[in-house]
Amino acid sequence: MPFTDKPQVFTSKIREFSFGTDGRELKLGGYNTYPLYTFDAATANPPRIGVLISDQGYDRTVPGFEALYGDCNDVPEMAKKAAALPGADFVCLELDGADPNGKNRSCDELAALVKAVYEAIDKPLAVMGCKNVEKDTELFQKVADVMQGKKILLLSCREENYKTVAASSVLAYGQTLGAESAVDINLAKQLNVLLSQMGTPEDSTVMNLGCAAAGYGFEYLASTTERVKAAALTQNDESLQMPVITEIGDDAWSVKEALLEEADAPEWGSREERGIQMEIVTASAALASGSDALLLKHPESVKTLSELIAGLM
Amino acid sequence: MGKFIVIGERIHCISPIIREAMATRNPEPILKRAKLQLDAGADYLDVNIGPAESDGEDLMKWAVTTIQSAFNNVPLALDTTNRKAIEAGISVYNRSKGKPIVNSADAGDRIENVDLAAANDAIVIALCSKAGVPADNDERMMYCQELLERGMEQGMEAEDMWFDPLFLVAKGMQDKQLDVLEAIRMFAQDMGLNTTGGLSNVSNGMPKEIRPIMDSAMVAMAMQAGLTSAIANPCDRRLMETIKSCDIIKNNTLYADSYLDL
Repeated sequence: MPFTDKPQVFTSKIREFSFGTDGRELKLGGYNTYPLYTFDAATANPPRIGVLISDQGYDRTVPGFEALYGDCNDVPEMAKKAAALPGADFVCLELDGADPNGKNRSCDELAALVKAVYEAIDKPLAVMGCKNVEKDTELFQKVADVMQGKKILLLSCREENYKTVAASSVLAYGQTLGAESAVDINLAKQLNVLLSQMGTPEDSTVMNLGCAAAGYGFEYLASTTERVKAAALTQNDESLQMPVITEIGDDAWSVKEALLEEADAPEWGSREERGIQMEIVTASAALASGSDALLLKHPESVKTLSELIAGLM
Repeated sequence: MGKFIVIGERIHCISPIIREAMATRNPEPILKRAKLQLDAGADYLDVNIGPAESDGEDLMKWAVTTIQSAFNNVPLALDTTNRKAIEAGISVYNRSKGKPIVNSADAGDRIENVDLAAANDAIVIALCSKAGVPADNDERMMYCQELLERGMEQGMEAEDMWFDPLFLVAKGMQDKQLDVLEAIRMFAQDMGLNTTGGLSNVSNGMPKEIRPIMDSAMVAMAMQAGLTSAIANPCDRRLMETIKSCDIIKNNTLYADSYLDL
């Protein structure tokens, strides 16, 4: 009996999402197969890589970061270096300094920084808050205003502040938005439903399903992402057809494998090597489970993952 | 398993308004009913033009293009005893949102509608009866086998054959209701087949305020038995809420607090 190839192509699809304007538009999603199943049908947009930088600078004890950012005088200069890395599709600026329990930098000051970073680079920009819900609500409002018309990606609104954030960033200023849930598939769906009931265009949001480094509860994230894709495609669940963005770098570089100094664990070898490995392993597993954009820190991880993605397409 | 599929039954020439609209090719009443059903959550719309012996081909073509162009190529079930009209409808049908459904074939005079569906890569509703109501489940099963074999011979995928056990009116055939559920169980669970049927038959002749309750109870029990679709009234809110809740319990759709709004 002859072999009949039966590509598993769905009638439903992962929606195409784009952010960035002025010739620096970046598209995510837009495929109707399981993630990376390019043998079933061509994938419109490969998974993308965003390079994480922080308003608080970088870890100077990691030689790779020092080599990359050592001669930078400020954050916009760092952004320029990050954007120019081989394999980098966009830059993600983390505003850690906004945290009221930390530096508590003002929203005006940080919005001005976002603008300066945007002007320093030629790639699309994502902006991440400080994870303090109240401060982020205020911060996103300010940033969205300053960046009006630039269609940046704000990461992320949550159940507690989606109304204000979506109204001020997407509806008022035309930015795009991540919807964040903490590894909870039902909440991920509910948040998308609520956003769409507010009138947020469905192609203006991505899902941020949470994050975890490999070995630190990552399997919950992987299974959540897989089930989101399965529901989106096999059940044509329109409230789960947004692309998925996953923060990797911060989590991967904050676990003991990436933190313990070589002097304290000589048998483990180079600390930087371990950090890179944690980042690559976590990112490639996130990719396999269906992530459409990865946020990475180390230049070596950015290079490796971009080569992996190119090889899979 | 995918979500339960509701085929909206309200574009039916038995309704005087629809019959009149079909005769005069007036799109308005038909599109109004289509919209009501789609807003209420129908997945497919049934288009019943009756026997339409004189102008069935022209009428079905008109109905298909009128409805599909107004509602983003909504998938349709083409419902008539006029075979040529179904073929004509399929010839202008846009399948971007789903294959057309041939409604329907049976194991008797209408078995050739299986061939028609096979030749046109359509779904077919396969009524497990020959002439009149099957006496028992042995008979239902025999017709099911005949229809299934016919489809396989013609190269159909089993999943494109939706077997209809024939829902029966409870008021008068109360003692046959469990047979219908058992037939669904055999088709769905023993044979892995898709199933559908005219659910509203069950409550036929009952007071208006009773029908949603009876239909909801029947659909819940039938979904437990394995029913994957029904030709029903999507504007019946209680029925739709029951179906959505059963879809959650069966893990056909993913739960979210707003699931009833979707």
